[in-house]
Amino acid sequence: MMRVVSFRKAVIAGVCGAAVMEICSALARLAGAPTVDFVTQLSSVAFDHSPVLTNAAALAAHLSIGVCWAIFYAFFFWGRLRVPPLVQGLIFSLLPAALAIFIVYPELRMMRLHTEVVSLSMHSFLEPLSPVTAASLLVAHLLFGLTVGAIYRRPVGYGVGTKPRTPALRRPRPEHGERAGNSSGFMFATGIECSYPTIEHGRWRRDEMDSTRHYSLWQHDFELAREMGITHIRYGPPLHLIFEGIGRYDWDYCDPQMAELRDCGPEPIADLCHFGLPSWLGDFQNGDIGAALAEYAAAFAERYPWVRFYTPVNEMYVCARMSALDGIWNEQLRDEGAYGRAAWNLANASIAMSEAILKRRPDAIFINSESSEFYQPCCPDPHVQQAADAANERRFLPLDLIYAHPLSKPMHELLRAQGIPDQEIKRLAKREVPRRSILGVDYYEWNERLIDRSGKALALGELFGWYVIADQYWQRYRRPMMHTETNRMDANGAPRWLWRQWHNVQLLRRSGVPLVGFTWYSLTDQIDWSIAISEPIGIVYPVGLFDLNREARTVGLAYKHLIDLYRDEPEYRECKALQEIMS
Amino acid sequence: MVTILSAHGYDPGPSQRPLRAGAISGIIATVPAIPILVWLGSLEAEAHILGLSPALTIVLGCLAMAIAGAVYARVFGRAGNNPHGGWLFGMVFGFALWAGGAVLVLPLASGGLAPAGKAALGVALSLLVWGLAVGILLPFVHRPLHESLKRGSRHAEVGPDAAAGKDKALRGRAQGQAHGR
Repeated sequence: MMRVVSFRKAVIAGVCGAAVMEICSALARLAGAPTVDFVTQLSSVAFDHSPVLTNAAALAAHLSIGVCWAIFYAFFFWGRLRVPPLVQGLIFSLLPAALAIFIVYPELRMMRLHTEVVSLSMHSFLEPLSPVTAASLLVAHLLFGLTVGAIYRRPVGYGVGTKPRTPALRRPRPEHGERAGNSSGFMFATGIECSYPTIEHGRWRRDEMDSTRHYSLWQHDFELAREMGITHIRYGPPLHLIFEGIGRYDWDYCDPQMAELRDCGPEPIADLCHFGLPSWLGDFQNGDIGAALAEYAAAFAERYPWVRFYTPVNEMYVCARMSALDGIWNEQLRDEGAYGRAAWNLANASIAMSEAILKRRPDAIFINSESSEFYQPCCPDPHVQQAADAANERRFLPLDLIYAHPLSKPMHELLRAQGIPDQEIKRLAKREVPRRSILGVDYYEWNERLIDRSGKALALGELFGWYVIADQYWQRYRRPMMHTETNRMDANGAPRWLWRQWHNVQLLRRSGVPLVGFTWYSLTDQIDWSIAISEPIGIVYPVGLFDLNREARTVGLAYKHLIDLYRDEPEYRECKALQEIMS
Repeated sequence: MVTILSAHGYDPGPSQRPLRAGAISGIIATVPAIPILVWLGSLEAEAHILGLSPALTIVLGCLAMAIAGAVYARVFGRAGNNPHGGWLFGMVFGFALWAGGAVLVLPLASGGLAPAGKAALGVALSLLVWGLAVGILLPFVHRPLHESLKRGSRHAEVGPDAAAGKDKALRGRAQGQAHGR
C-alpha cells in the first residue's frame, strides 16, 4: 500500500470529474464546437436496443471509469509532486488523456464495426483520430483532472471538533495470551504510533491511530505483537478524544483495548500525552495544561489501576520544538521564547501527571521517553559553534526540568525571559524525582545533525551511534535507561539497522549502564513519517514490523528472531536493573 | 510504477510467495472472464486469429493468465495484497494487458489481424474482469500460502548476520586483520 486513500473523497472526485466532462461536452455541443462525448461513444458500442437504457448504462460506465481514475490518482499520484492539488490533478490528467486518445477512442471505433476480425495497421488504427478530436479529448481530460485535483485533498486526519468512529468492540477469541504483569525480564517492546497534533493552525487533526486503522484492527494488532514475542507495548490512548473537558471523559476510545491488554498483554506502557492536546485545552503555550493533564492522569490511573508503566508526556523536547520553534504542530510558532514556554509547560505537566499517578499507584514506573539528539558544528567558526552549543543545550531543557538537573545559564535565562519566576525554577530543581523513573532514549538516523555554515541543521546519519549519544544522557542524568524508539525508512535496510541498534544496546549494558529494554517503533507502518505529519498527504512509510495490511515486514521477522534468540538468556530473562526498579 | 512500488519496500518479504499466489489467482480469475469471451464471440475471433481451436485457445489463455497473475503479484508486491486497493490495481493491470497485449502485440504477432466489433469489446471486458478478479483474489489467496511468523523468522537473512549487511564477506587483507593475523 503506497498511500492511505480516502475512498469517499476519491469517489466524489471521480464522479464530479466525469460529470464536469459530460456537462462541458454538452455545452460545447450546444455552442457548436467540435467535441467527443464519451457517453455517446460508449452507448453506441454494444447496447443498441433502447436509447434511454443505453445512455443510462453508458453514463454509469463513464462515471465508474471516472471513479476508477480518481482512486488511481489517490493511490499513485496524489502528493507525489510538491505543487498545488489543482496542478497535480491537471498533470495527472495527461495520463488518461493519452490513453483515451491513442488507445480507447480508436478501439471504441473498432468495436462499432459489424465484423469479428479486421486486418489492421497502425495507420488504419489511428485513422479516425483527427487533430480536433485529439484536442477535444485532451481538453475534456484536463477538466477532469482539474476537478479531481480540486476535490481530492487531505485524505488523512479530520477537522478539529469532529470525532472518528469509536474503536471496534472486543471480540471473544479462542487464542489468549497472558499478561506477564510482574515480569522483571528485559523489555522487548514495540509501540502503536499514536501522534495526534493539530496542523493548519489548529483546524486539522492528525491521528495516526485512525490513519493506520488501529481503531478497527486493534485486537489483531495486539495479537500480532503477542505472536512476535513482544513483552511490552507503548500505547497511547487518544487523549484528544477521551478528555472532553474537566471531569468529562469518553472512555469508549480505549476501554476495549485496555481490557484486552489487561487480560492478554503485552504489558502496556501508557503514553498519556503524545504531541497533541484536546482542542478545548488550546496549545502548549497554555500554562493551565499541567493541572488539566494531571486530572486526566489521575482519572486514567483510577480507571485502569492495573497499569504500572507510564510515559506521562512523550518526547517533550520534540513536542516543544515542533510546536513552538519549527512552527509545524499545534501553536505553530517559530520563536525561541515560545519554545521555552512550551518546554516549561510540558515538563510541569509531566511532573504533575506523575504525582497524580503516584497518589493512585505508588509503585508506578515512569518511562520518560525523549529523542536523543546531538548537534555537531561543521567548522571552527564561532557562530556555528555557538549555534551547535545552543541546540545541544536546548535538547536537554525538558529532561533537566523533570529530573531536577541544574539548568545551563542560557536555558535558565530563557525561562526567566518568559516571566517564569526564579523560585518556580528552583522548586523544580529541588524536587525529589520519583525513584522508579526510567530515561527512555529514542534514536533515528537523523538524530545526529551537523550545523552548517549558515546555521542550518543537516542530518548526519549514524555518525557516532546510539551508544555514544545515549551515553551523553546517561552521564548527565544517571537514571536507568531504555531504548524506547527506533526504526528505519528503508525497509530493505531495516533488519541491518535493528541488529546494529541491538549491538549498541548490548555494548551500553556491558559498560555498566542499567538498561532495561529495547523498542522497535512501531508495530505497523506509519503515515507521513518523513514530513513529521506536517501535511495530510497519507504517504505510507515502511517503518513497521508489519505493513498496513498487517503482513510481516522483513524487520518484523528479524525482531522475532532477535527476541527468540535472547529472551531466555539468563541476563535477559531476569533483568537485574528492572528487578531493582520494580522492587 | 514499478519504481514507485518498490522504492518504499513494497517487495514481499522472505515469508511471502507472490509468484505462486499470483499464478493461482490468475487461473481462478479466468472463471468469470471466459464466459464473456464466449458470449461476445471473442473466443472464436481470437482462435481464428491465432489459428487454433477454441479449446486450445482457452488452455493457452489460462496458462498465459497464470503467468500474468504471477507477474502481477510480483510487480505489485505488498500493494497487491491490499484488500482495499487490490481490485483497482488488478483492473489497472488488466487494462495494461489489454492495451499492450490485445491492442498492440496481438495484431503485430498475427500479421495485422485484430478482433473487431463485439469481439473486440469482449476482449477488453474480459481482461478488465480478469484484472478485477485477480486483484480481489490475491489478498485472500496469498494468506494461506504464507510461511508462519515463526518459520519466516528463521531465515538466515533476518538473523544476526544482517548487522553486517552486504559488507559481511571480508576478503583479503581485511579478512587477515579480522582473524588477528
